[in-house]
Amino acid sequence: MAEPTVTFSRGLPVEIGQIDRELKKLWEQAEGSSTRASLMNLAVYCDGETAMIQNTELISSFTADHACRSIVIAVEPASSANRVQAWISAHCHMSRAGEKQVCCEQISFLLEGSSKGVFPNILFSHLDSDLPLYLWWQSEFREPLEAQLRTWVDRLIFDSASWSGWREPFAFLNDSLKGSRLTLCDLNWTRTLYLRQALAQLFDDPVNLPYLDCVQKWNATYAPGFQLTALLFVGWLAAQLGWELVEAGKDLFVYKSASGQQVQGKLDQKEGAPISECVLACNDAVFRFARDPGSDFFHADFNLPDGCERHYLLPAGREEKIALLDQELMQGGKHRVYLKALLAAEPLFER
Amino acid sequence: MPQPCTVVIFGATGDLTHRKLIPALYNIAADGDLPSALTVVGFARREKTDEQFRQELGEAARKFSRQTVRDELWDNFAQSIFYHRSEFSDADGYKSLAERLQKIDAERGTRGNRLFYLAVAPDQFEEILHHIKQSGLNKTLAGSWARVVVEKPFGTDLPSAQKLNRTVSGTFAEKDTYRIDHFLGKETAQNIMVLRFANAIFEPLWNHRYIDHVQITASEPLGVEGRGPYYEGAGALRDMVQNHLLQLLCLTAMEPPTDLTADSVRDEKVKVIRSLRTMTGAEVAGNVIRGQYAVGAIGGKNVVAYREEERVNPKSVTETFVALRVLVDNWRWAGVPFYVRVGKRLPKSSTEIAVQFMSAPSVLFNKGAASLDQNVLVIRIQPDEGISLRMEAKIPGAAIRIEPVKMDFHYGTSFGKASPEAYERLLLDAMSGDATLFARRDEVETAWRFIDHIEDAWHKSEHPPALCFYPSGSWGPKEADELLQRDGRSWRRL
Repeated sequence: MAEPTVTFSRGLPVEIGQIDRELKKLWEQAEGSSTRASLMNLAVYCDGETAMIQNTELISSFTADHACRSIVIAVEPASSANRVQAWISAHCHMSRAGEKQVCCEQISFLLEGSSKGVFPNILFSHLDSDLPLYLWWQSEFREPLEAQLRTWVDRLIFDSASWSGWREPFAFLNDSLKGSRLTLCDLNWTRTLYLRQALAQLFDDPVNLPYLDCVQKWNATYAPGFQLTALLFVGWLAAQLGWELVEAGKDLFVYKSASGQQVQGKLDQKEGAPISECVLACNDAVFRFARDPGSDFFHADFNLPDGCERHYLLPAGREEKIALLDQELMQGGKHRVYLKALLAAEPLFER
Repeated sequence: MPQPCTVVIFGATGDLTHRKLIPALYNIAADGDLPSALTVVGFARREKTDEQFRQELGEAARKFSRQTVRDELWDNFAQSIFYHRSEFSDADGYKSLAERLQKIDAERGTRGNRLFYLAVAPDQFEEILHHIKQSGLNKTLAGSWARVVVEKPFGTDLPSAQKLNRTVSGTFAEKDTYRIDHFLGKETAQNIMVLRFANAIFEPLWNHRYIDHVQITASEPLGVEGRGPYYEGAGALRDMVQNHLLQLLCLTAMEPPTDLTADSVRDEKVKVIRSLRTMTGAEVAGNVIRGQYAVGAIGGKNVVAYREEERVNPKSVTETFVALRVLVDNWRWAGVPFYVRVGKRLPKSSTEIAVQFMSAPSVLFNKGAASLDQNVLVIRIQPDEGISLRMEAKIPGAAIRIEPVKMDFHYGTSFGKASPEAYERLLLDAMSGDATLFARRDEVETAWRFIDHIEDAWHKSEHPPALCFYPSGSWGPKEADELLQRDGRSWRRL
């Protein structure tokens, strides 16, 4: 990743009606030495000014690999003031050829008091036309997305690990999907990407594949605050392997496999990586995936009934928000597997 | 460079003169494109001296000119400006104007050439033109000319447009009549023909075989801004679609003219308007959505509904938004819908033409559910004049991931010289006798014929289509979205 050379941390304060003119000025001043680049609109909806500044920092790094126009909209509904403030800034990075600076523009808004209702208009007014719109929702999901906005968003990015409950957000998501083309991009789902890939990759081996159909027991260990991550992962396992939920306790689960066999599962909580361990057992074969604290790798240990033992080291990805977002945007597609996993995980949330 | 002449502006103390005409003339002078003898005579009712008039215009030029006003140049330019006070109905005022113009011809060398600019409301045209004729101002000496520039609206329907045209033609020949539509003076509007006919790559694709549909949008965040009484009598359809947007549609859809003379170009434009499929009754309900803005937010501020605006009927059914599905019934455009939308209190100020090409065949990358976006050629008329082409590109990486990217051309940064304002170009053309960018009588009347069918369905039918409301700051009523959804399409995200 190229090192950022110029960054305006919060930006230049501007009148809302003058944003386009001020952005134009910004580029005119830099003409010749830099190129404006944009492949998408990244809109970030967050709570409070602190989050706005944190996002500015994050976007500065993000734009090194993803040229975009970013629009950060921070809301402070509890504020006694009733106003909207705006800032503009540019994030510049040397191009890979090293000859020219490639710059991306950011527009930040702070919506205080009841001005929160102006959000759709603020967003509509400042999009770079014709480019996809990725909306990163960092706040709680409360009300459905405004109908017109729903049809404009290509990707709705969120992190279900931050949800305080699941009912309201799910209702929100279901509602948002109606009649829209948006793709749900759950960073919590992205968080499980490397573990899912590790499992899929190792069971791709014809030697290991038959064991998948006869899994009798599984258990997974998740870190505090990442229970939904674990449930999504379990939902994925169930959906992909065709398991049907029979019973769901607090941490114990009983499924019926596609062949009618009982599958027992258990979730444990322990400090560490969001999902630090997953073990699948079948007829004396044990498949263990474990990630040590701070490690960037999964250790996969396979003990097969014939006494054969295998060990693999597989990438586990990074945990930072920016890395998750980066991974998410490199995925593309409609995330149909996620929707299947979500459906399978929903009864687990309800227990 | 045009011949020396006197520009006589009727309604010289009005907004148009201050905001557009004088700044435009100053800019042409600053660019060195005006004959040094050019003279401006302002004709209006208010009592004023030449000096007062010059001072007021100087302030306006400093405020509205695209170039910084240089005192030396302005002082020189201001010496060519005069004020003539008279009521529009006072015959003596015109006689004394004629004498004054003769004197100016003698003193300044304007050679008897006159450009009369009617910067007044249409209901004053008849009176002014009558007196111009009576005082012989429309008559010219051998080798000189007299022309008239008429500002829109050119009537409010076909009968009123015909009446207005008869009035104008009673004083000036059609070749000396310049109906101004400032959209046509914009660089990008002029560039549409260049883009289409000077590039070999577009014209072969410019037809129903390769174009899926065309969207023409004119949006603005402003409300009626104190123009309630005017707008109540006009509405978006008459105010914008009949003239500006149909002109853009014509430039997009017309056949190549045989040459670049004014009449050749205008002949082709008229053919397009004649080819527009007429809508009546139920067809209007199915193809035209009319909307009116309700309360909402613009630029972070709450704004009132149209019906709550000053001097607007609280029960008004005047449309501030229109979306139309128009078909051009000719060989080239068979089955290709032109979606036209215009509205006030929309999120952005933007006027553009978007030509949406057909999708790539459903094989390879476009297979199954993974549908790709269409290629779109966008001609931006304002505010950021330019052209962009959207295409699909592979995002770097091992996986085949395709996202739309844009190739963008901006007039503002691509050429060293700033684009002239539309009025600069149009005034220069009128002085030079080039009517290519002005509407001809038959263009105007044919356009009204098309529009009148819609107006009749709205206002004269027993079961008029409903007026749809939309929140200020949104992209119009949901019914406008549904208009395209019915065809499996959607409005562009601007």
